[in-house]
Amino acid sequence: MENKEIILSVRNLKQHFPIDEGGILKKTVGFIRAVDGISFDVYKGETVGIVGESGCGKSTTVRSIAQLYKPTTGEILFHGVDLCKADKDTLLKERRNIQMIFQDPYASLDPRMTVRNIIMEPLRTYNRRGLLEKKYTEDELEERVKDLMEKVGINKAFVNRYPHEFSGGQRQRIGIARALALNPEIILADEPVSALDVSIQAQILNLISDIQKDMGVTFIFIAHDLGVIQHISHRVIVMYLGKIMEISSSDELYSNPLHPYTEALLSAAPIPDPKIERNRKRIVLEGDVPSPDKERHCCYFYDRCSKRMDKCASCVPPMFDCGNDHKVACFLYDDRPVAEEADDTLTEEEQKLKAKEARKHKKD
Amino acid sequence: MAIFRKKEIATNEFDQVIVGTSLTKEAWKRLKKNKLAVVGGVIVIIYALVALCADLLPLYPYDQAVTSHRNLRPSLTKTAGELMMEQEMKNLFFQAWRGGRLELSDEEDAQIETWIQQSKTNNVWDLVYARGMQAIEEGTFEWNSSEQRRIDNLLEDIETETLITINSVSAPVDGEMVSIEDMDYDTILSLYAQLIGADIELVSQSMYNEVSAAVTNELRANDSSLTGEDLTAAVEMEMDAMGETAFQNRAVQNIIGYIEQIAQRSASSDINSLITSGQAQLPYRGTFDLSNGLHVELEVSRVHERRYICGTDYLGRDLLSRIIYGSQISIAIGLVGTITSIFIGILVGALAGYLGGKVDYYLMRFVDIMYGLPYMLLVIICMAIFGRNIINLFFALALVSWLTIARMVRGQIMSLKNQEYVEAARSMGGSTMHIIFRHMIPNSLSIIIVYSTIRIPAFIMQESFLSFLGLGVQAPYASWGSLIGDAVSSMALYPYKLIIPSIIMVIFLFSMNFLGDGLRDAFDPQSKNQL
Repeated sequence: MENKEIILSVRNLKQHFPIDEGGILKKTVGFIRAVDGISFDVYKGETVGIVGESGCGKSTTVRSIAQLYKPTTGEILFHGVDLCKADKDTLLKERRNIQMIFQDPYASLDPRMTVRNIIMEPLRTYNRRGLLEKKYTEDELEERVKDLMEKVGINKAFVNRYPHEFSGGQRQRIGIARALALNPEIILADEPVSALDVSIQAQILNLISDIQKDMGVTFIFIAHDLGVIQHISHRVIVMYLGKIMEISSSDELYSNPLHPYTEALLSAAPIPDPKIERNRKRIVLEGDVPSPDKERHCCYFYDRCSKRMDKCASCVPPMFDCGNDHKVACFLYDDRPVAEEADDTLTEEEQKLKAKEARKHKKD
Repeated sequence: MAIFRKKEIATNEFDQVIVGTSLTKEAWKRLKKNKLAVVGGVIVIIYALVALCADLLPLYPYDQAVTSHRNLRPSLTKTAGELMMEQEMKNLFFQAWRGGRLELSDEEDAQIETWIQQSKTNNVWDLVYARGMQAIEEGTFEWNSSEQRRIDNLLEDIETETLITINSVSAPVDGEMVSIEDMDYDTILSLYAQLIGADIELVSQSMYNEVSAAVTNELRANDSSLTGEDLTAAVEMEMDAMGETAFQNRAVQNIIGYIEQIAQRSASSDINSLITSGQAQLPYRGTFDLSNGLHVELEVSRVHERRYICGTDYLGRDLLSRIIYGSQISIAIGLVGTITSIFIGILVGALAGYLGGKVDYYLMRFVDIMYGLPYMLLVIICMAIFGRNIINLFFALALVSWLTIARMVRGQIMSLKNQEYVEAARSMGGSTMHIIFRHMIPNSLSIIIVYSTIRIPAFIMQESFLSFLGLGVQAPYASWGSLIGDAVSSMALYPYKLIIPSIIMVIFLFSMNFLGDGLRDAFDPQSKNQL
């Protein structure tokens, strides 16, 4: 894919959630660093997969992009517009092009709305404010809903049905239809298949591929199933503890994992062939994922890395460009050019908190 | 919006109609399967209909006291006159037994003595009456002359006495007939002055005196320590504070009472002559014109031909009528109280739940503090401070009963706030109002409906409790609680006065609870075994 157009660009995104204590006199005692300074680009028409263990910040990243959370710092540039700093109207206009598919098809549809109303909800919201191509009449919207239902493979006669009358796969299709309703340029899929049966997963994945082919929508796709990611994405981002460990094209990553964490992750995925599976050597990581509430000035994977060096303990590794669009945040590759400097500065709130603590220590 | 759109039915490729089943529809289906809840619902509806249509039912006025009909027992077959006669005879037989003229066997004598000691008056009366009637039939007992005279007098009264009920009084004002209840103070005052042939100034002065006398009595009743000058000063202050309209309202009520009395008095002789001459049949409905053009519509009936299915109370008011009109007030308090408390509860709960943070903290601590205060005491204090009338009763009950619902709604909103479909709506650009009204309220409505059905009986119970203590509804109005409260003092002698309202109330409360349970099971099948 040459001369690729960047559609979404995330720059040094940090999403910290304060830990509060006390009732009336609430004070912040620390932060959960769910996403701690990540940068990546998304090109038009591709699918970017994000993998990682539970709690590594995949969903938070996506939700920050969708502006469901206000990011602590950083920039989210969509067509060059910074969503974090955009005013309400601009945000609403841009949001039209960024839609989400949610993880749990049972929770993501309002149980008291018919399929018609669910799919029409975004259309109505934008139609009422005149943000669609033109003002649609109610009948035209109805037509559009039926088209969408056909597109995602649900019988359009079911418009009057309620979500609880559908199976999980069908509900996820409704969720996809809702995400498609506004003809978005980018769809953020937050583990859209992990709540489904394997056979249904395949159907939904194929549906997503088809939609991408037909409509040229860009996908950011989260999954913790490596097979799914390999199947669907063009490029893969590996995350650990709120940091990006490795970014690469899908084929490259699976054939030539560079980061020790990626290696461990890939070795954990089972291979559907008993003979190979039995003889294969697995890398087993020791310990648990550390709590994300600490400030770190070392490699984030240091505690559990099998190849750790002294250097790793002293500073955060920058992203090294290993060529072929393959970037990795590991000092094993420090002979390669640096693609991006690591940023371990503190956010404003953190600095305030730290200053406060320092003052307290002085008093003691 | 969607509701007003033409109803179109989606069909599949085989032209089969496909209609969705909403959660509400499913809940309704489940409710219909629950027999107990359906029966409860039907009973509740019947109660509501009867209470609503009380004015259309052929009932005696609930506040009309017929002095000679005090404490009549309920009877389906006997008229009031027959019951009065029965009561009179019971008394006479008892006196005859005391005087030794009515002779009973030794065991019966002993039995009566023990009953008297146990104050089982009804048993004594029944036995004496039965034996007495038997004796008269056998010819072993005869009334003496004075007793016979009493019986004859009573018989004559029963046959001749009539009751004149004034339905309306109207007078021509600018060529149109206007009911005196709709007239302003000046018109009614001049009409009354004309009627009694007195000067308007004088009548007006006497009205003022009457109202101030009433105020004096009220003040004295509230504070018995007030005397002499203090009292006069307090009355003056009260009269000043009352204001023109309040004074006129009270005066108009008094004048209407007087006019009706005059109408009754002047009509009675005319009507009686009509009846004795056979020109009018009873019950008689007719009109009567007073000297100054006042037009009276009245109804005359043989008062002792009344039938009291549920008996009468200590003032001779029909208990059935009082129960039905009382149910109006009881049910209204249940409904209005619940609606008010739900309104406040939803507002506070939704605010606390949706905004969170400090607002949530302070609101919920306030709720906690209110929870800590003794609930009934608060209501009683409220009633004592603001005066005892129905509006204050509503207010006082609603004031302290929104707490639970506020907590419940808060919890519901908080859990809904983090639902994925709410996040989905936000990611699709839905505004806060849109999310609250389209997603949160519809999804928490079922639990609110269920809770409010369970609240209604609780409200009725609280109102009854207050009325029982004498803090609730004041005479001449009645509620189930006040009826029961009134009956307690004469429980042994007239048990029906206690039992009938209690049964009526218990049936309603049971039905309401069954309906509430049924609704809860229907709306939220999983909670069946939790609450």
